[in-house]
Amino acid sequence: MTSTTLPPEPRTDRTDRNRYLSALRSWRGLTGLALVGAAALAGLLAPLLTGTDPNAQSALALAGPSAEHPFGTDDLGRDLFSRVLHGIGTDLALIVTAVPVGALLGCSAALLAATSRWADLAVQRAFDLLLAFPGLILALAVTAVLGPGRWPVVIVIALAEVPGFGRQLRAGILVQREREYALAARVGGASRARVLLRHVVPNAVDPLIVQTAVALSLGVFIEGAMSFLGLGVRPPEPTLGSILSQSVAYLATDPTFAAAPLAATTALVLGFTLIAEALNRGIRR
Amino acid sequence: MTTVPDAPHTPGLPHAPDTRPVLRVSGLTVRFGGTTAVDGVDFELAAGDTLGIVGESGSGKSTTALALLRMLPPGGRITAGSVELAGQDLAALPEEALRALRGRRIAMIFQDPMSSLNPVLTIGTQLDEALRAHGGSLRKAERQVRAAELLDLVGIPDAAGRLRDHPHQFSGGQRQRIMIALALAHDAEVLVADEPTTALDPTVQQQILRLLTRINRETGTALVVISHDLGVIAQTCRRLLVMRHGRVVERGVTSELTAEPRHPYTRELLAAVPRLEEPSRAAANSTPGAEPLLTVRGLSKTYGSRRRAVTALHEVDLDLYPGETLGLVGESGSGKSTLARALVRAHAPSAGSIRFRGEEQARPARHGAPHREIQLVFQDPYSSLNPRMTAGQIIAEPLIAHGLGDRARREARVAELLTQVGLDPATADRHPRAFSGGQRQRIGIARALAPEPSVLICDEPVSALDVSVQAQVIDLLARLQRELGLAVLFIAHDLAVVRRVSHRIAVMHRGRIVETGPADRVVTAPEHPYTAELLAAVPRLAAVPHLPAAPHLEPARATTPGEATAPPARATTRSTA
Repeated sequence: MTSTTLPPEPRTDRTDRNRYLSALRSWRGLTGLALVGAAALAGLLAPLLTGTDPNAQSALALAGPSAEHPFGTDDLGRDLFSRVLHGIGTDLALIVTAVPVGALLGCSAALLAATSRWADLAVQRAFDLLLAFPGLILALAVTAVLGPGRWPVVIVIALAEVPGFGRQLRAGILVQREREYALAARVGGASRARVLLRHVVPNAVDPLIVQTAVALSLGVFIEGAMSFLGLGVRPPEPTLGSILSQSVAYLATDPTFAAAPLAATTALVLGFTLIAEALNRGIRR
Repeated sequence: MTTVPDAPHTPGLPHAPDTRPVLRVSGLTVRFGGTTAVDGVDFELAAGDTLGIVGESGSGKSTTALALLRMLPPGGRITAGSVELAGQDLAALPEEALRALRGRRIAMIFQDPMSSLNPVLTIGTQLDEALRAHGGSLRKAERQVRAAELLDLVGIPDAAGRLRDHPHQFSGGQRQRIMIALALAHDAEVLVADEPTTALDPTVQQQILRLLTRINRETGTALVVISHDLGVIAQTCRRLLVMRHGRVVERGVTSELTAEPRHPYTRELLAAVPRLEEPSRAAANSTPGAEPLLTVRGLSKTYGSRRRAVTALHEVDLDLYPGETLGLVGESGSGKSTLARALVRAHAPSAGSIRFRGEEQARPARHGAPHREIQLVFQDPYSSLNPRMTAGQIIAEPLIAHGLGDRARREARVAELLTQVGLDPATADRHPRAFSGGQRQRIGIARALAPEPSVLICDEPVSALDVSVQAQVIDLLARLQRELGLAVLFIAHDLAVVRRVSHRIAVMHRGRIVETGPADRVVTAPEHPYTAELLAAVPRLAAVPHLPAAPHLEPARATTPGEATAPPARATTRSTA
């Protein structure tokens, strides 16, 4: 039998990444990237964009937007432009720490669950336990032990993400493990660990990338909620949630106070959600 | 064919068509993005006539069928041509008007009867819905009577009583009958059947094909049958289109075309169809050894709890000699795959013993690791290769798992294996999706060969492949057996293929092996009634084509679209069976 010739083909080993890239190039992806990019850039470049100390108070309280204070000032006369930019920075730092930790914990738990039926049962019940607590009760519990601050926020966000990632990966593993190539690997003599890590998991990670984008938006949301309740980062350090929480009292009299932090939070949550949706559509195709 | 006992089956004489064309397709062209899937297809279908469209995967036959009702998957567009149903161009009709026609005047049956019925609704409800769909004027009681009539027409026993049953209470074949009943709800003029029996067992396939023929004869519904299987078409259709690369390469009266193909591709296609009459070629290929390599005794496997146990294997005895191909045939659910998986120790058997070279392999209690010398080739070359790995990595996996060689030696072995299965070693760094179905199956075979096995279990290795590719993979397996002295357990449902490749054939039925014997003897003189039943169900071509040395071109069977208007009075589809 002669060798069968293959037609010249496009570089296939890049199509996986291309799938994500082309997904991000849809209008959803681009809008999401633009929103997140603009907010993230503003947060990262906050020290360069504004020379004003976000915590410096002045006599000019609750001023509307002006040349000197583009977003106005808050009830203590602090520059809102500076506070919102620094707030975005704080928020991003928190979620970028917390989400990978949550993802790592969740995925490790899912791998553990894949080893035996008893481990699976234990991990599943642990996830149920975490999910049984509404996020805010969890936040209250953690803060009650650790006191308010940055780390409790990170811990709460991470814990809240664990079941999401864990279940997503577990479901993927359960589906992929029954596929014929997994059986083929087993018949070929591969050990259980090798079948799981080399064959099953790489094919089950696609949804996790979507899950990450979802988790990031959830992280912004949880930080906001915790700061709003006074459980989050300690004042006077600005976060989007704490600025929003302050502004609520003045919503009727000074609506411009709430506008900027609200817009920033919305941009981040909406942006991450759009990216998640774009990626989701991309991998389903 | 004289040696085969006659099937309890009257050859289906298609309904004699009248001359008025009910469906006229001209210059139909369908494009998906930049690729042309269907390229200028034209044909005519007279009222009550039967037309078969045959072709391999990617030939555009299914796309043609879907384009008739303009139900193309996203991305597909009819870019040229027309589909005229009794003078009305469907390709240009607005969607609303087209929906009114679908199901009422032109109906379709799909391949998979399992997923085409709604599992939560009763059959009666689903038939009722179909009868109501086009604003039918029937009242509820009348619809019920009609539904029972339809079920009766497609041969469901106790039709009126079964209207209240759900799809899961019917067998696969009955579900396909129900699909046909649904399609017939409005006395459609044209019934398009896209691979109607591909998902079914041969005995059931036979029944469905007979049903389609009967419906064509009794109701005068014109029939378009799309299939990759020439035997299926030969049995149901008076006329035949052969498609390749989106074009019609040959057309004509089925019996004439199969007896005397003119286009080289048709000839190729016919030559590749495995024929039950052909004797086994296994003896010429290799001579089995004297000492059995694999001995299976009393192997049983039950699933489920003790109270509701399902027996998949029932005391199976089997011997496999070195250099021998043992064919294992049976219908779906007969336990063939369970046996294969037990032999490679992917499943622990409930009872019995598997001895390899006299050494006990699988005691029910102690379930060991898979054996290096027993390897498995899978049916589906798409799902059995890890999409994330390259061909080279896939083939190297068993080497790594069994700790054979270092990196450089493994690479050399992969290249050697790729050459052995007829692939270019330079393709080792490509992913499975870059390969065709046949090439993927070669990768699967290379993977199975990697740890130098002496037993190869092939679980339906060719049933997912086109006939021409099938022949190549079978040749490859034969060559490998000759070169490496492999013992092969060849599992398949296609008796013709099995006879061709096997020294001996074992017939499996409901978890038991009912008959084992030399391949030719089992096919020509079956001892067990079930074997005879299986043999009778194999769809056959009308005659073995006497291939002319040089194509003599007479214009009698010209490929003009108008040829349907003057059909011969009566065509016999089966002259020798």
